[in-house]
Amino acid sequence: MEIDTSDVRGKVAVVRLDGRLNMVAAPRLKGAIEDLVDHGGTHVVVDLTAVTFMDSSGLGALIAALKKARQAQGDLRIAGVNEQVATVLKLTNLDRVLRPFESVEAAADGW
Amino acid sequence: MAGEVPAPAEYTVSGLAVPESIELLHDVLAEARADHPSLSEGDMSMIEMAIIEIAGNVVQHAPPGLTVVYTFVLDVHDDRLVGVLSHSGPEVEVADDPEMPDDLMAESGRGLALAEAALDELRHEFTDDQNVWTLVRRREVARA
Repeated sequence: MEIDTSDVRGKVAVVRLDGRLNMVAAPRLKGAIEDLVDHGGTHVVVDLTAVTFMDSSGLGALIAALKKARQAQGDLRIAGVNEQVATVLKLTNLDRVLRPFESVEAAADGW
Repeated sequence: MAGEVPAPAEYTVSGLAVPESIELLHDVLAEARADHPSLSEGDMSMIEMAIIEIAGNVVQHAPPGLTVVYTFVLDVHDDRLVGVLSHSGPEVEVADDPEMPDDLMAESGRGLALAEAALDELRHEFTDDQNVWTLVRRREVARA
């Protein structure tokens, strides 16, 4: 999986993922977002448009990153989920915590 | 004799229970999907989710220092998909009815519950020193 964290505008950081968000990629994603938050990118949008598959490890990394952002008085939102990712969120009831936004712009609205 | 060669009905992959080999499971499922255009996105997505969760569980719980080897066989039937994951290592303790964690903010503990939710049947047996997981997903065409 490719993890692009280069899009940082003040406190808003957009993390773009490409590939499978599974147990191989999850620790890298968690570390990358923790690093962003530590450097002031406390309001994180994770763009999942190019994610083809997500498992519970990937979900766990998103939850860990959400907690990290909130500890820094920020937040984390997700955008662009495909049907498989939406199914994982629904079956785990995590669509209540990580509500998917249609686009990065919609997710960052108000920040 | 000219004519179409029928797509195989069985797919097999083996590997070490390490995170990197999870990709082999994705690949074999993609191969089955390409061979069988009648397989729906929903069916493939659900069986993929389930096998990746179970394999992930095997990798995570493999005893340190012990090499665990797995074999996965996928059978494509007209009415169902059947996956069998066999692996070495000590017998895995499996809850009768795996549930999602009560804490929505828990970072782990959802794998088996998610696998079960994606399937019509999930069984685990320990036989001949092998853990054997059987996954059954009825195809959408058979639900109509």
